[in-house]
This record gives sequence, C-alpha cells and structure tokens, in this order.
Amino acid sequence: MDNKISDKTETENKRKKVGIVSCGGEELPEGSISRLATLDVLLKRKPFDTTTICLPLYIAGGEGDRMFAKNYPTITVDGCEKLCAKKATEKFSGKVTHSINVKDFIKEDEKVINKRNLNDKEKEIAGRVADEIEKNVDKILKEGQV
Amino acid sequence: MNNNKKVIIIPCSGIGKPIGTVSRETAYEVIENLAKDKAETVCLAALTSGDEDTIKKVKDNYVITLDGCARRCAQKNVEQYGKTPDKSHMILKYAAINPDKKPKGLIDIGDSGRALVDTIAGTVAKDVEDLTKNKKVTEKENNN
Repeated sequence: MDNKISDKTETENKRKKVGIVSCGGEELPEGSISRLATLDVLLKRKPFDTTTICLPLYIAGGEGDRMFAKNYPTITVDGCEKLCAKKATEKFSGKVTHSINVKDFIKEDEKVINKRNLNDKEKEIAGRVADEIEKNVDKILKEGQV
Repeated sequence: MNNNKKVIIIPCSGIGKPIGTVSRETAYEVIENLAKDKAETVCLAALTSGDEDTIKKVKDNYVITLDGCARRCAQKNVEQYGKTPDKSHMILKYAAINPDKKPKGLIDIGDSGRALVDTIAGTVAKDVEDLTKNKKVTEKENNN
C-alpha cells in the first residue's frame, strides 16, 4: 500500500484521474503536512482516481511533464502563503482546478513544529487537509471534469 | 571566501518513490542533528516557482543537492539560476551500493531505510564540514 504510486497497472493508468501536486515544503512543518495529506489520498483514499508529479519536474523534466495540468484536472496543496505548487503549476503547466493551503486548516490554538516525525496533532491536521483533497477529488469526478 | 556562509542542503521533492523520502530525511538528519548550526534547507518548490528570497539564499551560500533519481530535479533547479551546486549527491547510487539498507515505504522508510539515511547523512555532514572550513570538496559526482 505504501509503495504503489508508480506501480499501477496499465489498465489503472488509462482511467481518468485527478492530479494532485503537493509543494515540496521541505523548509516548513506545513510542507510535511501537505505531503502527508497528499500521500494519504494518493495511496489510501483514492489510489485509482488520482496521480501526482514531483513539482520540480516542471523545470527539470521535459515537455511531457509540463503537460501534467493539461492532462489532469489538478488540485494543488501548499504549505504556506507563497503557494509555490499553485504558482509553479500555473506558470509551467496549466490552470489549476482547485488550490488548498494547509495554513487554512490549522486552528488558532494549534502549533505545528515538526518537519519530520509528525506528532498526533500534526497528523490530525494532515487528516483534515486530506479530507479537503478527497472532497475535491470527488467533486471533480462527479462533475465529469476528467 | 566568506566564512559566514551557510550550507543549503536541498533534497529533491520526490513524492512518488521511497528514495525521495530518503533524500528528504537525509537533509533533515544533517540540518537538525549532524550539522545543526552550519546547514539549513530551503523548499525546492520555492526555487521552481521563482521565489526571490529562496533564489538569493541559494546564490549567497554553499549548496549541496540530494537527488533521488536520475532526473536530478534538485541539481537542475539550482543550475537554472546560474549556480552550480558545490556538491551533488545521487541517493540511488547509495541505495545501489548498500542493498541491505533498503527503504520500506513512502511514508515510513523503516529501520533499513533509516540506516541508509544515516550512511548518506554522515557523508553529507562531512561535506558541510569541509565547505565551511573552506576546504575543497571532492570532485562533483557523476552518476548518470
């Protein structure tokens, strides 16, 4: 279950999918929450309906990589107000269907401190972000935008 | 040489494979434990999106890139701003020469994955030490 993003079968790959692009967010705890939420949806909640790309491939990769947002209705998940995933996707690839900022899911009295080994509170926040991603995946699929 | 320079360690943002997680965990091990006061990281996505503060930080300091696969996203994203990383590590190479240290999964790389992280982090911490002492690090790796 934990290793399957790149190993989906050819049949699965032909399904219409929603793209999810997470910011790398290595510098911030919110970035790690963004990645965890994204992986939760990709690996566990919607493994057959979603796909992803490593965001820096927009620059390091080829034309095929930059077609990502044209090939898939795309949800971006960012860890901070810089919105790097959204900006880079719209700059290099195409229009984003829905944009999520992790900061919007952190309550006023909640503090996030860990970039790795997230604590229970940080995992709970990641769960809320994953709920939002999943909700929007379902919405896009229901509206037939794929 | 400016001794106040820090070493910016930039892991790839590999999200689809466990080796990307190893890359990121290695960076964290170095900046949080092995070379806490000398090294830090930046978000690779901020370089991709063209964030000015991040670009300046990369240009003004030493840079070590850690790439999980041959597409070398971290190295290429740094190079696009005219900066050659002072050292570039290919994590796949370390995985290949340490077959007993294999990451288990994407979210939790397991004990064997953490052993791989420790191995690579030791090497990267040595690079940080050399760079901050103005020693020339060994020739940039070519793992293509």
